[in-house]
Order: sequence, then C-alpha cells, then structure tokens
Amino acid sequence: MSGPVPDPGHQEIQGLLGVYALDAVDPATARLVEEHLSDCLRCAAEVAQHHEVAGLLANSGGAAPDQVWDGIAARLDGPADGWDRLAARLGTEAARETSGPRPGAARLRRSGRQRWATAAAGLAAAAAAFVALVLGLQVGHLHSQVRALQATPHLSAAEQAAAADPSTLRIPLRASTGTRRAPPATVVLTADGTGFVVNGDLAALPADQTYQLWGVLDGRTVSLGLLGARPTVVPFSVAGGGAVRAFAITAERAGGVVQSTHQPVAAGVVRA
Amino acid sequence: MTVDLEHASDASIVVAVGRWHEPALAELYRRHGGAVHALARRILRSEASAEEVTQEVFLDLWRHPEKFDAQRGTLRSFLLARTHGKAVDVVRSEESRRRREERLSRETATAAYDIDHEVWDLAVAEQVQAALDALPDELRQPIALAYFGGHTYKEVAVLLGAPEGTVKSRIRSGLGRLRTGLTERGVSPAGAGR
Repeated sequence: MSGPVPDPGHQEIQGLLGVYALDAVDPATARLVEEHLSDCLRCAAEVAQHHEVAGLLANSGGAAPDQVWDGIAARLDGPADGWDRLAARLGTEAARETSGPRPGAARLRRSGRQRWATAAAGLAAAAAAFVALVLGLQVGHLHSQVRALQATPHLSAAEQAAAADPSTLRIPLRASTGTRRAPPATVVLTADGTGFVVNGDLAALPADQTYQLWGVLDGRTVSLGLLGARPTVVPFSVAGGGAVRAFAITAERAGGVVQSTHQPVAAGVVRA
Repeated sequence: MTVDLEHASDASIVVAVGRWHEPALAELYRRHGGAVHALARRILRSEASAEEVTQEVFLDLWRHPEKFDAQRGTLRSFLLARTHGKAVDVVRSEESRRRREERLSRETATAAYDIDHEVWDLAVAEQVQAALDALPDELRQPIALAYFGGHTYKEVAVLLGAPEGTVKSRIRSGLGRLRTGLTERGVSPAGAGR
C-alpha cells in the first residue's frame, strides 16, 4: 500500500479496532486496518465482536417497510449463470460499477441458476448473460495501457504495431483479488479478429496444467486456445467468429477441456 | 432448491440467495430490513436517504452473498455493519461535511442530553439498556456519538473535549465492557439477531 500513513505495528492497529468497527476512522486509516485484518485472525475476530455488540445497540426498528422492498425487488438484476458472480469476483473498479440498475435485468431474471464454479455447462450458459455484464461493466483506461504493452519485451514488431493501432482493443483481464494490482493478463484484439494474450502476472502452472483462453461471442462461450503453463505472449484468432463480448482465462489440466468447471483466474469484458 | 424459508437459518438462506433465489432475499429482508432501515434513518435523519441505503445493503447481499462469513458472526450484525458504513459515507460526503462542521460547535453543548436520549430510544431490549446503563458516561458517550452520530473519533474528541487517543481507547474498552455486560445479562452478542 502506498499512502502517507506509515506502516503501524500490531499493537497500534489493535488500538484502532474499536473505532474502526464503528466506522469512526478516516478512509486511509480504515484501509490500513483492513490490510492488517486480512492477515490477523485475532484482530478480525475482535472487529467481528465489536460489530455484534454494535448490532445489538442498533437492534431496534419495527417491521421492514414494504415500499423499500418494492424498490429492492425492482432493482434485482438477473442471475447470470456464473458470469454475474464472476463479475462480482473480479473485484475490479469496473465490477464495482455494477451497483447501478441494469436495464436488461428484468428480462434476465430467473433465466438460469448455474454458477461458474459448479455448472457443468456453465461456460456455454454464461453467454446468455453477457448482455447484463456488458451493460454493467465498463472496462476503463484501455488506452493508458498501450505504452505499457508496447514496452513488453516479448512483443514482436508486428504485435507492437497491432497494439499501437487505434482500432485495436486492449482488454485487461482482471483477477478476483488484488484490485489495485496490474491485471494478470491483457488481451489485445485487432479489428480483423486476430489477437494475442500478454501475460502480466499469471503465475507459472505445474507442467501437467495449462492456462486456457475463453471468449464469449455470438451468444456462445468457446475455447480460444491453450496458453500453456508459462505463457508470455500467445496469439489467437477469432476471425469469422463474430464480436467477442468477454474473455476469461482458466487453469486446466494439460490438453485443455471442452467446457470449464473452474473459476476463471482472470476475466474481462470488451467495451461495447 | 427447496428451502423452508420461514424456519431456515440466516446462513442457509444466504446460500439460497447465492443461487439467485429471490424469495430467500425477501425473507432476509423481512427479518432484518426493519433494523437496517431504522439504523440508516437514525444516522441519516432522512427517510429518502435511509431507504436508499437500505436498498443498497440488500442489493449488495444479492450480488455478493459470499461476503457474508457465518463464521465471523450473525447476518444481522453483518448487515448492520454494512448499513452503518454506507450511512456514514453519506453523512461524510463533502456537502454534508460542511453543514456538520458548522453544527459541531453548537452540538457540543447539548451532546450529553442528545446521546442519552438516543441511546434510550434505541435500546429495545431491557438487557441492552441495562448493559448500557452500567457503562460509565465517559465510555458510553463516545460510542453513541461515533455509532449513532456517525462521527469519526477525532470529531468525537472535539465534541467531548477529550484527547483523541483517550476517545479511541474508551470506545474500544467500552465496546468490550458492553459485550461482557451483555453476556452477563444472558444476551450473547455472537448469537444475537436470530
């Protein structure tokens, strides 16, 4: 974390747990405490206890007002067969922007129940929900990444040229954690449907595994190829496949799979 | 899935919410919506803002049920903590901060009275009230100002004319004493809200 507040010790954080639990600290201090809580079970337990006590103090109020529920029900967005949960897991700035109502929600509601992690056909079914995802997500700051990409030593001259082309899309694929970190991978997609994946921060896999790239296009989720266990820059093509709405990378057994049952290690939505 | 919602535990209903089961969310709203709404209204002193915060709290639960960890505590305290956080965010937004700063000095003189009133108003359970009563004023006031007033501990220090470090430690030890007091009175904070 980079901030003006110096890294405090355990004891200093402990002293802040009460005021933190009551939201009585400034945002920078709150972040500091949260960072500590992710590593310190004892302090996390104390905060949970303070929340329980505070909850009892607030434990009043009559029946839940009906009109508020009506407002909630009207804003419930659709299940998204894994993709929506996926968006939630991305934990990106973009994912947080999904808190607003989604115009497509009413149509999508109840259309499916599968989650990425459990659904055998999750990837195929996911396509049905990409509309909600595209509406809700905005993948930002794409152009700011051009320079960083071009500086990537593994890029060939042709790839650098493609990356610099203004019609080329750069889609950061983000992980579920580490919101402030660089995206684990970036997809560069040219207008003619060829593209390549640039590894940003994907850890090397064991030799019996591989990363696999997936795309949601024309309402289907298809494998776009294997990236190997230690990808650097891997080309792929979706020429003739229609517009790609989203990309995801999963870790699979070597040889890849037809349909993934794994939660993506990184994913990103193509800006509409 | 078949869940007897009326008799199911909060935690198991949250699992159903994770499967996009709308009646499950409705049941959780029925159980906790009143408390969430009341806390938001108390902090925000605005019905419209309170409704907005209440909606956001339950929509967040709908979208991110995985953020609730049943190992950590009850769903109610989880929801109320989220409510509190959202409400103070609103209270501390730039616009309202200006108004609050103007108000701070005026509030100082009447703080003790307001706090007593608010605590009295809020404590529904006799045991909670008794545990609160048992707390010395110097521990109870900073908790009430921070929690119900939405003040930061530094603001509380100004309001009470006490050093920041003192306020910080009094809030922590006050919460600890409250917990002990509640337990002694047969209220288990960890099991509350069911």
